Amino acid sequence: MTLTHLNPRGEAHMVDVADKAESRREATASGRIQMKPETLALLAEGGMPKGDVLATARIAGIQAAKRTHELIPLCHALPLSKVSVDFRLDEAASSVEVTATCRLNGRTGVEMEALTAVSVACLTLYDMCKAVDKDMEIGGIHLDAKSGGKSGDYRRDALASAPPPIVTGGSSAGEVSVGPRCDIAVPCVRVKCLAELRERLGISEISLPLDSLPSADVGGLKAALRQHDERFAGLSEGRVLCAVNQVMANETTPLTNDDEVAFFPPVTGG
Amino acid sequence: MIRVQQAPFDAGAEQRALLAGRSDIGAVVSFTGLVRDFNERPEVNALTLEHYPGMTEAALGEIVAEAESRWPLQGLRVIHRVGRMTPGDPIVLVVVASAHRRAAFEACDFIMDYLKTRAPFWKKEHSASGDYWVAERESDHRDAGRWES
Repeated sequence: MTLTHLNPRGEAHMVDVADKAESRREATASGRIQMKPETLALLAEGGMPKGDVLATARIAGIQAAKRTHELIPLCHALPLSKVSVDFRLDEAASSVEVTATCRLNGRTGVEMEALTAVSVACLTLYDMCKAVDKDMEIGGIHLDAKSGGKSGDYRRDALASAPPPIVTGGSSAGEVSVGPRCDIAVPCVRVKCLAELRERLGISEISLPLDSLPSADVGGLKAALRQHDERFAGLSEGRVLCAVNQVMANETTPLTNDDEVAFFPPVTGG
Repeated sequence: MIRVQQAPFDAGAEQRALLAGRSDIGAVVSFTGLVRDFNERPEVNALTLEHYPGMTEAALGEIVAEAESRWPLQGLRVIHRVGRMTPGDPIVLVVVASAHRRAAFEACDFIMDYLKTRAPFWKKEHSASGDYWVAERESDHRDAGRWES
């Protein structure tokens, strides 16, 4: 194994690729930026002060890939045929995962371009969101796969890079039962946690007396739930949606006796 | 007509039933969504779809009503399955009939975009490397955003 950017005297040099055969080259890299759940929610809703965060970061990543040779000293200028930058909002981890793919028919690999695109897209996400969250952390930038060229194809071990799966054992029948009516004599609200949230919190259904809420709204219910069981702190982690009597609701939606309140993650049907 | 069911459906039979005895319909567009064997991870063996009974039907009803207010439609069918499915199985069917093709194409596209971002369904995939809940996609929100102006 040798370092190709060093000559026999150990000095940096640019590899002469004139005699290398042209082949179709492709590389995919990814990374992530960790942020507060509130920041992620604001980003998802398009509420950032600087405007459309993801569209801007995507263009920044594509531009950066094209200019990699200006940033990394011994990289060749490459006529890339394709650059794509994609984002996945990960509520559970409260982060944005950035993936970039670069392609060309040429004599040298495009992994530096893909890694540069991911890095600059992450930096742009930071810039776009820093007004509301200065604690964001960029990390985990790595090459996922590359193909074409003499050194052969490379694929990072999928299991090593994938986040630990949410294992739940047996799968349910795909339905949530409609909760039991409030069986205590005092006015109360019925709460359900659905899908991933139910498994993350380990709680399916619960009833709370209405007068245990510091305020008779969804925000008050969250506070009371947290008082009742620390696991409900999870209601404030990641993007959690809420419906009152099966209609979408928010923190200030008022609650009355016998209301059904459901908390759930963003929907993924279709 | 809106149905949420565990049983598989036959897209052809549903479309024929929608068109039976009608001669005023000039265009029908049908979309079927299927379970893929790869998604966030390779080797997806099965999928479990959870929903929120009651709210699901209401949300789909609202989406359909919105489509009917935007385009002149003459027939409509939305079927979404829940429970466990395997790759190749149909998940969702949207059939839209209209006098002319444009309304049918656009309304079908609209209903799927809104269904994916507004109806309370959640997918859990069972893959060779474990079970995981599918994350929402930014591109789905972008697609749904096309209809807001």
